[in-house]
Amino acid sequence: MFTWSLAIRNLRRRKLRTALTASGIVVGISMMLILLSLVSGMETQVRSMVRALGGADITVSNSTSFRDRAGGFFGFLPSPSTLDASIVNVLSGIPGVYALSPQYSFSGSINGRRVTIYGIEPASYEIVTGGLNIIEGRFLTENSAGEIVIGKALMEFLDLTLGQTVSLSSGQIGAERTFKVIGVFETGMVFQEYAAYIALADAQEITGESGRITHVLIKCEDPSIVSEVSSLISSAVPGVRVATPTIMVQQATNMLNTLTMFFATIGLVALFAGSFGVVNTMMMAVTERTREIGVLKAIGAKSHDIMKLFLTEALLIGLIGGGVGVLAGSILAHVFPMLVPGMFATGISPFGMRNPFSRPGTTNPMLGGTTTQTFRLVLPAITPMNVAICFSLGALVGILAGLYPAWRASRMKPVEALRHV
Amino acid sequence: MSKTTKTIVRTLNLSKIYRRGKVNIQALNNVNLQVSSGEIVGIMGPSGSGKTTLLNLIGGLDRPTSGKVFVDGVDITTLGESELADYRLRKVGFVFQFYNLIPTLTALENVEVPLALAGVSKNERRERALSLLRMVGLEARADHKPDELSGGEQQRVAIARALANNPSIVLADEPTGDLDSKSATALMNLIKELNRKNGQTFIIVTHDPIVTQACTTIYTMRDGRIESA
Ligand SMILES: Nc1ncnc2c1ncn2[C@@H]1O[C@H](COP(=O)(O)OP(=O)(O)O)[C@@H](O)[C@H]1O
Ligand SMILES: [Mg+2]
Repeated sequence: MFTWSLAIRNLRRRKLRTALTASGIVVGISMMLILLSLVSGMETQVRSMVRALGGADITVSNSTSFRDRAGGFFGFLPSPSTLDASIVNVLSGIPGVYALSPQYSFSGSINGRRVTIYGIEPASYEIVTGGLNIIEGRFLTENSAGEIVIGKALMEFLDLTLGQTVSLSSGQIGAERTFKVIGVFETGMVFQEYAAYIALADAQEITGESGRITHVLIKCEDPSIVSEVSSLISSAVPGVRVATPTIMVQQATNMLNTLTMFFATIGLVALFAGSFGVVNTMMMAVTERTREIGVLKAIGAKSHDIMKLFLTEALLIGLIGGGVGVLAGSILAHVFPMLVPGMFATGISPFGMRNPFSRPGTTNPMLGGTTTQTFRLVLPAITPMNVAICFSLGALVGILAGLYPAWRASRMKPVEALRHV
Repeated sequence: MSKTTKTIVRTLNLSKIYRRGKVNIQALNNVNLQVSSGEIVGIMGPSGSGKTTLLNLIGGLDRPTSGKVFVDGVDITTLGESELADYRLRKVGFVFQFYNLIPTLTALENVEVPLALAGVSKNERRERALSLLRMVGLEARADHKPDELSGGEQQRVAIARALANNPSIVLADEPTGDLDSKSATALMNLIKELNRKNGQTFIIVTHDPIVTQACTTIYTMRDGRIESA
């Protein structure tokens, strides 16, 4: 029949009413889009956090944040405070500690490009963190002096291939050493791939800090005892900062869930209210067009033809509401974090990727201790999936809200409908 | 012109009682009506005598309290909702006093509606609707909305719509009731022409002498009964 053109024309004939009714859905849909986008955005970040922090349950570093050892050189980036490597022995005596891995991370330059260099002990590193995702070549071994594993993005940026040599300097003393690229790792997060791994001894040598480390990565015997172990460390070992990434991730996840519930509730309430608007408008439309229904039935329309007619109209309202809601939500999703900056204030890595959980001044072991810290906001991720979900949700609400009025219209008796004035 | 004697519509002891609160209104009281194919039947009678009720029962718009309605030998009172809708779609055409065109659709689209309901393809129904509008002399007004047409023009569109699926019976309830005499005459000339050309049967409720002049048979109703033939 003329289902679509009739529906469109009837909605056009009552532009204001259509707009008001659709706006009821807009509110709910935009809320939903903000919700989904924030969750997507934060999920990405939580995921990157988990990856960035590796599998380490606890990281221990010097409690003094920064120490400027650049001396007379022109304001080089500060380097992290270090710990004596013997602390590993102290920490291994703490009950609940399953494995430890010392690390010396610093900001160095590879072929002139400043990146984060991690000096690690391959065997213990793999035990504690589960290792890197090597996509080419291999990871470091016990005999990896002079070998380097570089992130995929950095490889591409520097136009390197496996087996080539690179020159690496710590930027502190200016001494350069050459390393052979033996492996390429991938994390999926570009900023994490602007990094390289070398042997701990090499790192200490380049920085002139033999016997020193910046972090100890710890794996606990069981994930459930992480916080107990971390407080044991805090009280037993003075002068260290103890971070529990897995707990932070958990807290972040909890916050995410709370946020999800918050928006889901508002969104659902708004959608519910909006759907009542649609029901109301459609009931009005059915009443107004009672005679038309009677005429259509008199000339042979079946109940389901009438049903389709009004359902289509309700669906259209839902589609308009969904479409505008997606637009409004996309705008709001970017504005919203600025309204509650406290909730989303985050550090930013030198590569423009935000890490929601590091406070300024905190050194994240895997991002290196030398990142420039600024306040930035979580960017909601408006994925095609989110848009599709919200748009369909609008359509669904329209159809559901249209069901009762359409059913009422469809079961009208033709004679009675025709008598209606 | 030879008149066929084949019965197309026959009512048998047709009664309709409306219940209004505690009061029962006998709108139709044992009506026995017989209409032959190709007739133009006029039904007259005072307001409230049951003319519209009778027409609605013949058209399958309503169900009787008792009695039967045979159309081409089939008792339509036994049909289910969907079959009845099909009966209205294909077998009968309705014309109302106040035209009852769909205001959001153009003249052409209004004529297309029954064709679309019958599942006729877009091109075919457009062509058929245009030829129907040509037949009622409104081809030039095809793209006008009802509120851009005069009453007489709207009623001619309504006739075209009623004839869309080539029904054998056209039921009209005071079709000239809202028209000036010139439009009424034009409408009746059209009906006579259609009747002569296509042999369609018309049952027309009316008070209008212009209509009754064109009728082959006239019945008068009073208090829910057919009084005279
Ligand atoms: N739906 C209805 N409910 C109650 N009474 C009705 C209804 N339809 C018609 N009637 C009554 O039935 C009688 C016949 O009505 P109707 O067939 O419309 O008469 P006419 O068309 O001859 O004016 C009138 O008394 C009218 O009030
Ligand atoms: Mg009447």
